[in-house]
Amino acid sequence: MKKTLTILFTVSLALLVFGQTALAIPAFARKHAFNCNMCHVGFTKLNDFGQRFRDNGYQIPGQQGLEKTVFESAFPLAMRTTAGYSLYGTGGQSTGGFHIYNLDLLSGGVLHKNISYMFIYTPRIDEPAADFTGPGTGDNPAQLAAIESAAVVFSNIVRDKLNLRVGRFEPGFQLISSKRSYYILQPYEIYSFAGTRNSFDFSANQIGIEATGRFRPGLKYALGYINGTGANPDNNKFNDVYLALSKTFGKGEGQSAGQRIGVFGYLGWQPTALLVPIVSPVGDVNGVDNRGYYRFGGDISLNWRTFNLQGMAFRGVDNRDFNDFEPTLNYAFWGGVAELDWAGLPNNRLVASLMYNWVRPPDYNAVHKLDACSALVRYYLGSWSAVNVAIHAEFTHRQLGSVAPIKENLFTILLDFDF
Amino acid sequence: MRRTLISIALSVVVLAAAAGLIWALADQQAPPLIQINAQVLGPQAIGPLPPVVAPPGNPPSSAKIRLGKELYFDPRLSADGAISCATCHDPALGWSDEGPTSAGIRGQLGGRRSPPVSNAAYSPLQFWDGRSPSLEDQAKGPIQNPVEMGNTHEAMIQTVSGISAYQTEFKAVYGEGPITVDQVAEAIAAFERTVVTTDSRFDRYARGDHGSLTPLEKEGLEIFNGKGHCTACHWGPYFSDGRFHNLGVPPLDPEKPDLGRYDVTKNPRDRRAFKTPTIRDAARRPPYLHNGSEKTLESLIEFYDRGGGKDPNLDPLMVPLGLSKHEKAALVAFIKSLDSLNPEVANVKPIDPRDLPR
Ligand code: HEC
Ligand code: HEC
Repeated sequence: MKKTLTILFTVSLALLVFGQTALAIPAFARKHAFNCNMCHVGFTKLNDFGQRFRDNGYQIPGQQGLEKTVFESAFPLAMRTTAGYSLYGTGGQSTGGFHIYNLDLLSGGVLHKNISYMFIYTPRIDEPAADFTGPGTGDNPAQLAAIESAAVVFSNIVRDKLNLRVGRFEPGFQLISSKRSYYILQPYEIYSFAGTRNSFDFSANQIGIEATGRFRPGLKYALGYINGTGANPDNNKFNDVYLALSKTFGKGEGQSAGQRIGVFGYLGWQPTALLVPIVSPVGDVNGVDNRGYYRFGGDISLNWRTFNLQGMAFRGVDNRDFNDFEPTLNYAFWGGVAELDWAGLPNNRLVASLMYNWVRPPDYNAVHKLDACSALVRYYLGSWSAVNVAIHAEFTHRQLGSVAPIKENLFTILLDFDF
Repeated sequence: MRRTLISIALSVVVLAAAAGLIWALADQQAPPLIQINAQVLGPQAIGPLPPVVAPPGNPPSSAKIRLGKELYFDPRLSADGAISCATCHDPALGWSDEGPTSAGIRGQLGGRRSPPVSNAAYSPLQFWDGRSPSLEDQAKGPIQNPVEMGNTHEAMIQTVSGISAYQTEFKAVYGEGPITVDQVAEAIAAFERTVVTTDSRFDRYARGDHGSLTPLEKEGLEIFNGKGHCTACHWGPYFSDGRFHNLGVPPLDPEKPDLGRYDVTKNPRDRRAFKTPTIRDAARRPPYLHNGSEKTLESLIEFYDRGGGKDPNLDPLMVPLGLSKHEKAALVAFIKSLDSLNPEVANVKPIDPRDLPR
């Protein structure tokens, strides 16, 4: 706790000193002297403009080569942290406390026309996780130290049609981004669901290479070749592949205007045994008995005024060797999320959202059947370019298992501080 | 194993080289872009305008500015003695005209709206399509444009040289020798550089007087630089990036659409793209856009809220905005707060025709 606070304090001070001379991530907003709503419906959810900015390698769409690089502007640093109070109840008991939920240090910018980077570091937060595991012991940190993103983007290799991301990045099949969700405590549950011995996480940032692009009218693709093991070593020689296609109808990107539908497929392999004698100098063990798994599904995003209804669902199938329950059967499941967002007050100072998550494991694994209903309200204290603070209240009711389900409630009120 | 590693390494190198090559080629095909120096690169914060910088070849003096002002308001520069610069760039109409497009000599209609001369000193390129690099160069155009002042430079010089008060003034500014077109243009440009906004309620606010904008106008400012995406193009103290964008403005004649910047660069990406105009004093000069197709600020905001018009070359920055009624009203209110309060711009009768040189 003390360590986290010291880090927070030092970083805040450093950013205050260096950040002021500059004019988003808040770093982008400062560089361009825009306020957050230029790119976000309400941070962190991107609007159409922000989506195009991201797709164009963090360059203003159509203006590549006509803006400052990181060498010509103040060094782009940004920070995001959320801290607040959580109240958790289950089985007639309840508990609560103050927490720091996360701390991200971000840097991103343009290095040269059509070459840019994004870097996100999350330091370890040695506090018990404020998730549904309830009060922890301290060896269950709220956040692990990790380089969440470290990617270089080569944009417009073929104008609009081919961009390459290399490094660790958020893969493009996640059109409904878990990294830019309004929800801070409630994840998109299906994203991190898998057979018992498969560690693949749909929402994890991945290491590899990805090609993205767009074709008129509103047709986009993302094609990737990645480890598929998130931050873990990839203990096999096989890499995972994915393809996502989406089509937008009407003007816009389907984020805050226009209607968008998409389909995606993911194909991966993981070892089910490790051959320890061979370890590469960079830590990979020779995994053997590789087995496959795949995901395929679709997503949709509908906009009307400032309402956005987005949803996604997919089916996952993991090879039977990942299945500890019924080792003769492939582990097949499906699930999804439906989310209704609304923005109101001038410049979207207020956002509200309802969300439903469902996970449907195979029948013999009914204890993992999950339903979660969530709601949130976020109020932004200002419309500034250098900094923004939101007051955020979030509630989730979750039900796990179909016979004698575990029912849980989590209410959190927090400050989301970005600059 | 070693062979596999080598072949993987090789293919990566080949791929990277190919990507680099494609990228370099793509880069070379990039459109010829206007030269904007490094300081102007990319969006800047909106705020009060900095002092105007005159080009080294045309240093201002009070005598030259006075001369330029007289020439600007003098209809004798036109072929029939009826049209002055101020006919189409009238201080009383926000240094523009009634529109929708300009009527010149003998009532002939041009195809484009008259842009404001006020603050044009800050525009890196002149005209809707940026075909003129400076105010000096620009000022020579209208005099011999057949649908504007319909004159020839020679005839105009003869007229001006025949007015003795002008002779004295030109001599005082430029010394001995015959009056030239360049001198006329330089004097007009020197005057235009004084028609700049140093004061508006927005500027007062930006300088720290927080009471000078109403709460609605302040909301409008936030939306202008946020949800409205307006500063993506209308950035910096001049409220313009000086670049060219296709907003999908419906052409007056769909058979023969005005191709805008394309006619200058021949770059397909510039098709029907027009220069971002400043929005300082915009409330004073309806109608709007390069062909005056939007009659009011309110209808213009509706146009933006729809994500602009239809065009295959629509600018990627144009997206529907999802603005509420209140947000639209706030934007209009904010634009009105940019009306100049300083006399150089706001004065509707800067010169009495009887005071013109005889
Ligand atoms: C008949 C009307 C008319 C007259 C007379 C006229 N102009 Fe214009 N002016 C226009 C129109 C229309 C445009 C835009 C033309 C275009 O973009 O192709 C324009 C453009 C300009 C611009 C460019 C502004 C910008 O932001 O791009 C300047 C400066 C200007 N005029 C100054 C003058 C001066 C000085 C005179 C007198 C010598 C003059 N005009 C006479 C109609 C007129
Ligand atoms: C894509 C760049 C871009 C964006 C974004 C943009 N504008 Fe414009 N604006 C332009 C261009 C270019 C024109 C002239 C277009 C034409 O005439 O074809 C213009 C014209 C205008 C005019 C008319 C000025 C005149 O004298 O005719 C106003 C007022 C205006 N914009 C306000 C706004 C507001 C308010 C917003 C935000 C809701 C906005 N603009 C967003 C580029 C932009």
